[in-house]
Amino acid sequence: MDLNTITAVARPKARSELPVWAAGDAWLGGGTWLFSEPQAHLNRLIDLAELKWPALTIDAKGLSISATCTIAELDAMTGPPDWLAAPLIGQCCRAFLASFKIWKTATVGGNLCMSLPAGPMISLTSALDGVCTVWQADGGERKIAVSDFVTGNQTNVLKPGDLLRQIDIPLAALKRRSAFRQMSLTPVGRSAALLIGSIAHDGSFTLTVTAATKRPLKLSFAQLPGVADLRDAILQTIPDALYHDDIHGKPFWRKHMTLRLAAEIRDELVE
Amino acid sequence: MKFQINGKSFSQAPRAGQCLRTFLRELGHFGVKKGCDAGDCGACTVLLDGEPVHSCLIPAFRAEGHTVTTIEGFGSEAAIHPMQQAFVDHDGFQCGYCTPGQIMSAVACVREGHAGNEADIREYMSGNLCRCAAYPNIVAAVLQGKTAMKGA
Repeated sequence: MDLNTITAVARPKARSELPVWAAGDAWLGGGTWLFSEPQAHLNRLIDLAELKWPALTIDAKGLSISATCTIAELDAMTGPPDWLAAPLIGQCCRAFLASFKIWKTATVGGNLCMSLPAGPMISLTSALDGVCTVWQADGGERKIAVSDFVTGNQTNVLKPGDLLRQIDIPLAALKRRSAFRQMSLTPVGRSAALLIGSIAHDGSFTLTVTAATKRPLKLSFAQLPGVADLRDAILQTIPDALYHDDIHGKPFWRKHMTLRLAAEIRDELVE
Repeated sequence: MKFQINGKSFSQAPRAGQCLRTFLRELGHFGVKKGCDAGDCGACTVLLDGEPVHSCLIPAFRAEGHTVTTIEGFGSEAAIHPMQQAFVDHDGFQCGYCTPGQIMSAVACVREGHAGNEADIREYMSGNLCRCAAYPNIVAAVLQGKTAMKGA
């Protein structure tokens, strides 16, 4: 839709050209959310497209995903064959409640910064031990784990003027054996629970719970836990108040599905 | 600013927060429809460098230097696009309001290989809503259009 209060657009080509952040500014990534709702409080867009960040970079450390990487670009990526966790990328892209047209425009960074519980890029990058690089308004930068980046339903650690630059996925996480489960009230509906489990080469097990909860939660175990131990750990780690409540699922159902899907993941990975 | 729309050059500048849909309509491309205004219905679908996008979600200034194709850019009155003909043949519409967006998405769907079978078509065309519920006919049209586009 037209954003009629916008009076100016900045199109920086380098970090040094980023304008001084002011009230009424907004970063423009893909724009799929920004242009889908009235933004009467905004008067300037700072377009990130001209920074021309490379969408994806693969090196010896792992995978770097630019904040402006689109869902379509991420889904089209082909990783090395020893990236056993690579199927998670396609699975999480398909957990995105969006048409193939939206895939071409919406960005990974936008999904993180929206910080919706059902954000599938949050699920993916937190499960893969992703680390966010944040450019600060004062010229500095800081790094923070994706699982700590999102703090609640549509809340995160970004301060005014902070800009999410990229998410780095370590190679070790990409080489883990993984299992994915997702549940929603309708076949292609918004996720009500999205869980990812993975086993590292040393046998340690990590379960990432998203969508069911207001923010991502990671449970770590030295080895694959038994059925009862896994259930107890979830019950102890996730208080009832942390289960999300909206039209896409009641908290008690999300809790039930979390326990069930976690058990399924465990059963898949024990084989 | 210069824009290439359906093969023609335009030099008007859009307003800062104007979306591509409004800009295109103000330039006379009324086949680009305003529907939900939020990226849900697909009525405003156009091709940007050949890729389908919801023009209501695209800032107009970002189309500068890129090619835009609207429904008016497909075929002519004398020789309409094979997908347009398929929608006519199968009555892939009732009121017709969503039809330009349906056809734009259908063409992209075929070009990108997402129209392998009915299930594929239903999934990939799910971002285009038809309040008249002409969906069975739309699916049949896309299947015919796919075949016809191969021969075109």
